[in-house]
Order: sequence, then C-alpha cells, then structure tokens
Amino acid sequence: MPEVFIDGKRFEYEGEQRLLQFILDNGMEIPFFCYHPSMSAPANCRQCMVKIGQPKKDRETGEFELDENGERKIVWFPKLQTACNTMIADGMVVLTQETDELVERAQKDTLEFILANHPLDCPICDQAGECPLQIQTYKYGPEGSRFEVKKVHKPKRVQLGPRVILDAERCINCTRCVRFTDEISKSHQLTIMQRGDKNYPVTAPGREFDDAYSLNTVDICPVGALTSADFRFKARVWEMNQTPSIDISNGKGCNIDLWTRDNLILRITPRYNEAVNDHWMPDIGREAYKLFNENRVQRPAQKLDDEQINSSWNNAFETLAEKIESTDKKEILFIGSPHASVEENYSLMTLANLLGAKTPVFTTNIIEGYGDGFLLDDDQAPNTNGCRLLGLEEKDAKSLKKEVKSAKLIVLLNDNLIDREVLEAGDLNDKFVAVFATNRTETSKVANILIPVTTAAEHAASYVNVDKRIQRTFPAKETKYTNRRLDIEMSEGRLDRYGTSFDNWVTEDNKVDCIPFWNFVSQLGERLGLKIELRNGREILDEISNKIPAFSGVSYEEMDVQSGISLGGKKETVKS
Amino acid sequence: MSSADWKNYKPVLIPEIKDLHKIDVYEKNGGYEALKQVLTDKKKFDGPKSVIDEVKAANIRGRGGAGFNAGLKWSFMPPADGGPRYLACNGDESEPGTFKDRKIFEYNPHIFIEGALIAAYAMQITSIYVYIRGEYIDYVKMMEKAVQDAYDKGYIGKDILGSGFNVEFHVTYGAGAYICGEETSMLESIEGKRGYPRVKPPFPAQKGLWGRPTTINNIETLSCVPLVIKNGASWFSEIGAKNHPGPILYGISGHVNRPGVYELPSGVPVHDLINEVAGGMRNGKKLKAIIPGGSSTPVLRADQLEGVSMDSDSLREAGSMLGTAGLVVMDEDTDMVDVLWRIAHFYHHESCGQCTPCRDGTGWLEKILLKIKNGDGEVKDLDLLLDITTQMEGRTICALADAAAWPVRHTITRFRDEFEARCKKSVHAMA
Repeated sequence: MPEVFIDGKRFEYEGEQRLLQFILDNGMEIPFFCYHPSMSAPANCRQCMVKIGQPKKDRETGEFELDENGERKIVWFPKLQTACNTMIADGMVVLTQETDELVERAQKDTLEFILANHPLDCPICDQAGECPLQIQTYKYGPEGSRFEVKKVHKPKRVQLGPRVILDAERCINCTRCVRFTDEISKSHQLTIMQRGDKNYPVTAPGREFDDAYSLNTVDICPVGALTSADFRFKARVWEMNQTPSIDISNGKGCNIDLWTRDNLILRITPRYNEAVNDHWMPDIGREAYKLFNENRVQRPAQKLDDEQINSSWNNAFETLAEKIESTDKKEILFIGSPHASVEENYSLMTLANLLGAKTPVFTTNIIEGYGDGFLLDDDQAPNTNGCRLLGLEEKDAKSLKKEVKSAKLIVLLNDNLIDREVLEAGDLNDKFVAVFATNRTETSKVANILIPVTTAAEHAASYVNVDKRIQRTFPAKETKYTNRRLDIEMSEGRLDRYGTSFDNWVTEDNKVDCIPFWNFVSQLGERLGLKIELRNGREILDEISNKIPAFSGVSYEEMDVQSGISLGGKKETVKS
Repeated sequence: MSSADWKNYKPVLIPEIKDLHKIDVYEKNGGYEALKQVLTDKKKFDGPKSVIDEVKAANIRGRGGAGFNAGLKWSFMPPADGGPRYLACNGDESEPGTFKDRKIFEYNPHIFIEGALIAAYAMQITSIYVYIRGEYIDYVKMMEKAVQDAYDKGYIGKDILGSGFNVEFHVTYGAGAYICGEETSMLESIEGKRGYPRVKPPFPAQKGLWGRPTTINNIETLSCVPLVIKNGASWFSEIGAKNHPGPILYGISGHVNRPGVYELPSGVPVHDLINEVAGGMRNGKKLKAIIPGGSSTPVLRADQLEGVSMDSDSLREAGSMLGTAGLVVMDEDTDMVDVLWRIAHFYHHESCGQCTPCRDGTGWLEKILLKIKNGDGEVKDLDLLLDITTQMEGRTICALADAAAWPVRHTITRFRDEFEARCKKSVHAMA
C-alpha cells in the first residue's frame, strides 16, 4: 500500500487524497481558511503551507537512493507548498509546523498579513467564539502587530440579500462564499469585486443574494464578514447549547443543530451528514426555529360555547376518556400525521388498536414541483415514509373527507389539515374533535379539546425521510415538566454544568406547558384501563423494531453510531 | 552579427519600410513567404515537428520576461487528439518601463500574425487568440484590421494556401488590469472571467483555455519566428549574445535625450544604449541608476554597470535580470525613495488580491514607503520592509508578489544610505 510520511510518522493511504484533508482525517492539524472539504481548493489564503519532498529514485534500478546513514535521499520542493491542493503521492515526505521552523514561520507570516487589514473587532463580532481566524490566530499567529499604518476601509453592514449581511472589512477573501454559489447552490450570485486589498464579495449591481441556500455562506465564512440578518447580535456563541436534531420542515430531513439559550431556540445550523445533506441546508429550514418558540399551544383547552377555555390536565384526560368510552369505537377516527414522529404515530396506532378502532389514517403533504433536486423535496413533512412503514392508512383529501363524515369522534395528531386545505372547518361541524398540537393554527381552532404536545426540539423521536432514512432528534429545550439532569437524552451545555440561579438560563416563561404525546397516551390508557406502557422515545422505538419488520434492527444507539439508518430506500448523496 | 557591432545592424522586426503595416506592402517585402515555406515546401519542412525543431534550434528566448526557449515550450504540447487547441498571444504588456509590443502592433502587425500562424501550424493549433491590453485600444483596432486583411488574403481561415491547414484568429483585449498579463490569468480573462492567476499544475499545455492544451507566447517572441523560418536557425542564433540571441526591442525611457523603442541585437552594452542609442543623459546630468527590464527587475547603481551588457548572463552577474529589456534610466537628481514608493504603489494597485501575502503585503509596503517619503519614517521601518519582502516571496500562486518584493528589497539594500537619511530627518533629538 502506498505510504506517506508526515512529521516523521508513517501513514498508509488509498486512492486520490488531498494532503490537507488526509492530515485532518488523521487527527493532526494544519491551519487553513479557504479550503472546504466539499468544494474546490483554490489555495488562495496561503495558510496551510507545508514543506514537501519526494524520495529520490535511481533512474535505472527504480530503487530509492540512500544516504550514508541508510536513509532515503529526499528532494525537497524549492518553495513551501499549500497542503490543500497537493495530492499525496507514494513516498511523499511532509513537514508541518510541528517539525519545521520555516513552515511555522510561514504560517505566522500569513496570519500577520491576514490580520493587517482585519478590523479585530471581535468583541462586537458575531463570529467570535466560533471564528477560525480567532482560534488559529491564538494558536499559530504572531503575538503582536507590526502594522502601524492605516487599515483599508471597506463597506460595512451591506445587505447582500434578505438574509445575509456583509461586513467587507472583516472579509479575508477566502472566496468560500463565491465558490459555494458557483459549485454547490449553482446560483452564481456572488463574485469578488475590486482588486487587491480592496476586494470583497458582492452580487451583480441591482441583484439580490436571495439564493435559497444563502445562509450556508454565513456558516462557511471563516470570519464574521457574512452574518445572518436574523441571528445577528442575538446571542454570543458560548451562551448557547448545541443539540443535534433533524430538520422537520421538509421531507429531506437535513441533519441540523439547534442552538438554545434559556429554553429558546435561537438558530439552526446544518450538521454534517454525507448521506443526507453534506454540510448544507436550505434557508427555509433555518427559519423553522420560530415554530419551537412562538405561537405554541400551552396547557390543555376545551371548547365551551364556541370558545376554547384553558383547562387542567386532569380535566383534559377525564373529558377525552369519557368521550372515548361513550363513543362507538367504529365511529372514532384516529388521524396520524406525517409531521409527527414515528414514535407519536406508533403511540396513536397502539391506542387505536387496543380500543378496537380502525387503523389510523394520514394524508401526505406533498407539493408537486416544490423540490429543487438538491435539499428541498416536494414532500413538506418529515415523516411521510415513517407513517407508511408503520402501516397507517394513506388517504387522499377526498377519501379522508369521507372518513371524517362517517366519524363522530376525531382524534387528530399534530397535522394542520385545515391550514393546508385537506379539510375545511365545516367538515368537522357536529363532530367531537380532539387535537394534539404544538402550535396554534386554523386547525387547532376547531378543537373541542386541544392538548399541547412537545415539538421535535423537546423530545427525542425519530423521523423517516424521503429516502427512507430514519434519523432522530434530541431534546434541546425544557418543557414545564422536564428536568435537564434527569433526562438522559438532553445534551448538557456549559450553563447546565455550571449554571447558577444568576444565569439567564432559568426563565420559567420560556418553558412550554406541554407533554410528549406518548405520555398523554399512556396516562389516557391507564384511565381507560388499557395496558399501554409508552415511557420515552428510546423504549418506544425498541418496541417498534421488535414488532414491525420494516424497523427491525433500528435503535437509538445504532442511529447515533451511523447518524441515521437507511430502511431500504435508495441511498442518495448530495455530492455535487 | 556580434553585439559589439550593433551600429551596423539593420532592423528586421520593425524595418524602416513605409506603410509596412499594410498587407500589400508586407507581401511585397517578402511577407508571408515563411508561412508559404512552412505549409507548402515539403522539402524544407517535413511536417509540424520539423518547424518546432528549427525554432528550438534558433533558441528564441521568450521576450515576455521569463526568457524560456520558445521552441522547447512548443514541444510541451500533448499530441493532437482532434479537439480544440489554442495559442494565446500575450500583448498585455503593462509593466512600467515596458512598451515594445505596441511598436509591432503599429508598424509591423503582419510579422506577428505570420509568426502566430507558423506557431499554430507547428503545434496543430485550431484557434489563435491575441490578448491586447485595454489601454491599447488604437492598436486593438489596427490588429483587427490586419487580421481581417490576412483573412481576406486567405492566410487565416480554412485550407490556408491549399495546405489543408485551418486556423481561426481572434483579437481580444483586457480591461486595464496588469495581472491579466500573467499567463494563466490572461487565460481566465480571455474566458471572460475575473483575472485571477491559476494554480499550476496543471500547466496551460495540459489544461489551458477552456481546459484544452494551450501555449502562451509573447508578441515579440512570435514575431521572431518568420525570421527564423526564412533565414534559418543558425542565422538567428548568431545575432547578438550567444545564450540569448536575436534582435531585441529595447524600450528606453527616463532621463535620456532620445527615449524610445530601438531594435538592436541582444547584448548591447548598457552604456552604449544610454549614451549612443538614446542620445546620452538629459541636460548632461550624471547617471545614477537603471532598471534594466521593467519595474520588477532589481535596480542597478551606476557603479554596478561597468562592462554590463543587455543579456541575461551579464545582468544576472551584475545582480539583476533582462526581463523585457525595458530600460529605465535615472539621473543624479532622482529621489530613490520616490521611485520605490511609485513602484510599490503600482504593485499595490495591481495586486489581484487572491493570495494573502500579496494582497496585504503590497499595501503594507506602499504605506510604509509613503510614510518614509513623507519624512515620517523610522530606520526600523526599513528592516520591517525587508522582512515583509521575505514574507511575500515565493509564497503566492503567481509571481506578482515576487515582482513587488524584489524592487523593494534591492532598492533599499542598494540605496540604504539614501533611505536612512530620509528616515533620520524625522527622528527628533532626545533632549
């Protein structure tokens, strides 16, 4: 197998590999800015300089030439080379900043140049705390500055598009954003303008940077030059918790991180998953963070004289239980939801089965032509395939209306059927409607009894995307009834570990009064004398994988190891 | 003809023939004969390879500054595979002190066109692009006219002179960026993109214009080709200096009585060029320094010029380079701090901004030099300047950073006293 020597250590490798990526993959480090694993390597930041040599071979024998100590003779490149665009070759010898003074010096020199015209306004910069320039300057940069002349001034607070704002002075011209629009989103909306130390990225005159993926440039910007118009100045990075999750605004199921402070989701960023979304996600999925914070259903409510009045949880259980008991089971319609998780739909199905009612139905939320072939799919719901694999009955709008007509009691799991024009409010007249909802909508308005349930940001649950890949979320924020320290799924941030009552993390107002749907079902079952034991997502999925063949072998442990499991659908990669 | 005998030299690149830029006049004076020989005289030239061999033997060293053997460069082209192949002719000369190619555009465009066509035949090229700097809009128009005339006469196009050889010829021009004279960023510019130099490898011979094999030659280099074909490689290689033979267009500017472009053999002594060809120093002043080959070549003090001639070896020994043979002459009244600031200003203005060391280094150099020029400098600034040049050299994609760093390095080391004197003025005496 071909070999390469890095800082005196021998590594074996296979296939074509970029040296910088190989070094990173093997747990070593080299500072860099312009390189991004999913894009071309323009080698323009000149930060990843290393010393490279090749062993000398005898032309006739093909043997390596040896020196008097029996070591291979190395022919060094006359100049330092950038690691990002160097392909590793058999026998290559590489010296990094760890072992070579000239390399260390060169990297320090380049950082000095980058910092020369950089405003160094870290205290007011959104990027501080997660800034490659800041981090690498601390590690590899010069200690002081010898730049005593005037810095270049460039435009600040330029609204490039509806969602992205540019501070050209902070820009270090790595061209990642330009390459993103050229190579990944293919909108070609950005280019570098001007020349030399005056240049910065812009759109063509009179054009907006309204790319459907524009916010990815904010993520990959190695400085604070591109910031999100929405998130700007809202929080320091170190104040937030980062919890892995799944984008529930689209069927693609992009892997994401939820950023929480004081039980509010403040932003959503993509999380790397080569099999689903690589490093990217659509802008629209990021805006979904508002659904977790705003307009939530809080406390159960019941309709009295056409008005929904808050009630107690006990009262809600009692009322619904009585209604179920007094209704002919043939006349109860359970409606599942592609917008709810596998576990929630399974809980609904369990309840229906034990009651002897019909199998729950569901209606897909697919808008033909909405998808773009990249990370936006026609399917607007995160779990359509989950409902199908569980065995819920798929109904189109027409047949659902028919089902509704013949039912007396309707139990609807978190699906805005009226908002998305599958049903009309009139269809539900004279019926008793129990709605389990996360947010207030036109659909929640018609509920005779309205029960608040947790969102994807508040429970651990799984979703099966359009490519039949099952992936799961983690609770990122507390409800009124969560205890951060007892919930093993909950990630622990700095503020959890060291937080005191003086921290601004403890506001009761931001905790929503809701419970996971399966908890409600369990308690309802107890009241109805049914044997239902649904405690948490992890156990429910174990039960599903034992009972339903399509889910066999699936567990939270396995999903965490493989970042999702393909349930037999075609495997799609986003490499473009 | 030896370099010392330059007085008897008769110009061949831009001979003194009235209206030579007109195609009829050019033809009457033996024009396009070389092309005919190459395409039709099977006894003399048996296929493209024989043309490359002849040019290689003549040792035409690239006139764009790097001085690489043109024939050897041609031989780097991969074998023809039926797809498009390009010749890109670099007429973007924009280095301060260099203004020679414009003479060819103006007075003898057809010798260049003929040379480019021969080169195209030798390398089995399908399209020729000539890239002229945007400021030369008049010459762009002249070239367009000349190319059209050659099309009309059947020297360009399909089945040239009945030989079955086809080639297209396009005239393009830049928009005022010096960096587009760098060969790979010229390719980007021709493709209609921003003029950022490309990372090499791959080299243009493998992946050039639109990803296809491309050779890039200077205008003056290509203009030498018909002369080689007509008169033979040995005739050419005996003109002027042994290792850098042939006629050279010397562009002489600065404090001389008759600045201009002069065609002479290579290797003419520097003193002869200044005192005899260019009519001596203006106002009888003394010579202080020269920049021998465009602003990026290191400056030479008058005392370093004894016995130095304009060939690459002699200039390297003296501590500089031939570059484009654009000689800038400076008299005793020249303020070297001013000169260096102006050069640094140029490179700051022209850095494309792709690579960090050049983007931020060129600006830093200029700003410190401006400070020194304004009398606010300190001696430590001189060492900082030298430090910055080491930090820039050899760390970028193209050679612009080197071109910006060398003049600073060499001017400061060669005129250190003058710089220190300017700095010291600003230091206030401690009470």
